[in-house]
This record gives sequence, structure tokens and C-alpha cells, in this order.
Amino acid sequence: MTYVSFLRAECHLVWRRKQNVINSVLFFLLVIVLFPLGIDATPMFLSKAASGIIWCAAALAILTSVESLFKEDYHDGSLEQWLVSGLSVPILVLIKMTLHWLFIALPLLLLLPVLSEVLYLPDNSFWPLFISIVLATPSLFLLGGIGSAVTVSLRQGGVLMILIILPLYLPIIIFATSVTKAAQVGLPYDAPLAILAAIFLVSLVVSPLMTAISIKASVN
Amino acid sequence: MSWAWFHRLGSPKWFYGRFKAWPKPLFCLACLCLMVAMVWGLAIAPPDYQQGNSFRIIYMHVPSAILAQSCYFFMGVAGLVYLVWQIKMSPIFLKAVAPFGALMAFIALLTGSIWGKPTWGTWWVWDARLTSVLVLLFLYMGIIAVQSALEERSLADKAAAVVSVVGLLNLPVIKYSVEWWNTLHQGATFSITEPPSMPMAMWLPLLFAVIGMYLLAAAVIMWRMQTEIMRREAKTHWLKQEVLSDGV
Repeated sequence: MTYVSFLRAECHLVWRRKQNVINSVLFFLLVIVLFPLGIDATPMFLSKAASGIIWCAAALAILTSVESLFKEDYHDGSLEQWLVSGLSVPILVLIKMTLHWLFIALPLLLLLPVLSEVLYLPDNSFWPLFISIVLATPSLFLLGGIGSAVTVSLRQGGVLMILIILPLYLPIIIFATSVTKAAQVGLPYDAPLAILAAIFLVSLVVSPLMTAISIKASVN
Repeated sequence: MSWAWFHRLGSPKWFYGRFKAWPKPLFCLACLCLMVAMVWGLAIAPPDYQQGNSFRIIYMHVPSAILAQSCYFFMGVAGLVYLVWQIKMSPIFLKAVAPFGALMAFIALLTGSIWGKPTWGTWWVWDARLTSVLVLLFLYMGIIAVQSALEERSLADKAAAVVSVVGLLNLPVIKYSVEWWNTLHQGATFSITEPPSMPMAMWLPLLFAVIGMYLLAAAVIMWRMQTEIMRREAKTHWLKQEVLSDGV
């Protein structure tokens, strides 16, 4: 196994199991639909709440898709192969996460113009929202991967994983939504963006290592 | 200076033998300190010129908030130590601290909420300090859940260590939340490095309360660590000898 063959195999896997990606995108859309129907469907409420709704739905969709990130690999023995392959496990983790992030985040970004019309998102906060999603969803994936690796050996690990990881998501969501809030009232929003970038860099360094440690502990 | 004592700290047997007698005196000292602080703070200290008597809840609120953060900080350090050096005592410490820290975070939130009602006119606001302490409570809960949900002990220890290290991300958010955001919550009231901004008659009991709370934490955590050592080392020879000669 080399890094390239690993990447190709993972690409094939994601493509063969397209239903997983489609499911999480559908889940994302359904959560978004819940808010106008459940709270208030008037443009006045929605234009204020749009970015928050999109962010909450994105975080939940990512959480559900990350939950099973290593499940199949654990059950079919692939994780053991990672450990004995002689390749660096953190880099394998990073490759897998990057790939999954691409497959989940790209549909979300493509849907964003439609959603922002439907939710009456003000025009001046579309690009800030876009940038915040590009910048912060990788951190959600990286942190979620840790929880997924920690609970991979449990039969019912989903709830536990959400319990561990969701508190870590909250700061990211707070800063991400404050980007669009600042943009809506015409304030500069580079400070929360800088903090999001800092969180992304920290999790980029820490998360693959921690995920690898958890995988090694789980596989034994 | 010899560093042998530092290396020995990693051995449960040495730790158990060395600190067996410590919790009880520490606990008594903590009770004494807390009693002095409570009587002085609640009965003798002058009422605040703005808040009247309602400020007195500070003598519970600030110590528990400080302890909640300190406990998490030490958990993060212990988690890192475990991940890097695999020292046996670290997960024992993690397991002992987590419930105490969770309790402290809960008390901080509860007393803050009770204090908020007369001063801010509301039980709860979604400001940065309150929300980040709530997140801290959830982090503690998550760690406790991980420790109890994973059957295999080595995996549970690793997982708890990983989560506590990653959760350190939240601490600077709590610490600087009152400076980064304009919120209802006031700035830090208690600092060792700066001269106190309140009169000595109010500040000294607070100092006693904080010291008493740290002593209480030390005593409770040591007790819990001893219990955990006994649970883990139940099959070893030295523990049998210990129990046979001294009782539990």
C-alpha cells in the first residue's frame, strides 16, 4: 500500500457508496426545512436567522456523516492494515478526511446560493457565509474524526460521539455565525475569520495525531 | 537536587504509600479554611455599596469557577502526559478529577444564575462567559461518559486523555471571553498578581475561600485516586499486604 494507492482506493469507496454522501446532503436539507416550518416562515425572521440555520444544519450533517467515518474500516480489518502498512497513520487519516470533506462540503457549497434565496439571506452576507463555511467545516471534520475514532469499537457509539464532539463544535459555530452577523450590520468581520483560521490550523496539527492514537488504541 | 521523587510519582504503589495519610488532614484544613471564609464573607464582610448583600454569593461563585477551570487545565496536562509518556498515574488522576470538575462547573453555573437574577434581572443570558462554562460542563460530562462507556480499560484511558487534551481549546475562550466580547458578565474579580480592586475586608475572605476550595479539591481528588488505585491494582501483591496490615 502506498499513499497514492490508498487515495485511489478511498476515492473508489466513496464513489461506490454515493448513497452515504447523498444521505447526509438530504439530511442537511431536511434540517433546514425544519426551521421555517417549526419556528417562523416570515422573511423578517428568516433573513436574520438564515446563516445560523445553515450553520446548525451543516454541523449536524457533518456530525452524522463523520460518525461512521472509520466504522466500516474497523469492521473489515482495514484499520489493522493501516497500522501494519508502515505508512504514517496520521497522514492516512488526513487523506481520508480531506476526501470526505470534499465530498460533503462541495455539495453544501453548491446548494448555498439556492438556500440563501430560499431563506432570504441578505445579499451582503452571502460571501462571508461562504468563506466561513469553507474555512470552518474542515475543523468540524477534523475534530469529528477524533470522536469517530474514539468510539469506533462501540456498537452504539453515535450518541457518545456526539456527546464528546458537539461541545467542541460550539466555539466554531459561535465564531462562524458572528462573521455573518457582523457582515449584516456592515462591521468588519476579519477578526472572527482569523479565529476560525486559527482553530482550523490548530485542529489540522492536533487532530490527525489524536485520531491516529485513538485508532491504535481501538484496534488492539 | 534529586528528581527520583518525580519519577516515582508515576508508580501507583509509591503514590499510594506516600500520600496515604494526606487526604484527611488536607480535608480538615479545607473545612477550616472554607468555614472561616464563609463566616467572614457571609456575616462579617461589609455589604457592597451597589449590590447590597446579594454580592455575598461571590464566595461560592468565584472559587468554584476557578476550580472548574483549573481542574480542566490539569486534566489536559495529565492527558498529554499520558499520551506522550504512558505514565500509569495519569488516567487514575483523570478519572478522579472529572466528576469533581463537573461538580465545580455546575456550582459555578448555578450560583452565577442565582446571582444574575437580582443583579442583571435574568437567570440566564447567552453571553460568551456563560456559554463557554456550559461547554466546559458538557466537556466534563463527555469525558465521564467516555470513561464509563468503553469497556476496555486501556482504550477508555486513551480516549479520555485524547478528549481532555482536545478540550483545552475551550479554556482560552473562557478566560478571555469577558475581554473579547462586550457582555453582561463583569471582568475577573480575583487575581493573585494584581492588587485587589475591592476592599481588603471583602477580598481576604475570598482568598480564604479560593485556598479552601483548592485544598478541598486536593483532598477529594487524592481520596478518589486512592480508590481508583485500589480498583486497578486489586490483584497485586503489595495491595494485599497493605490491606492486610492496615485495613482499607
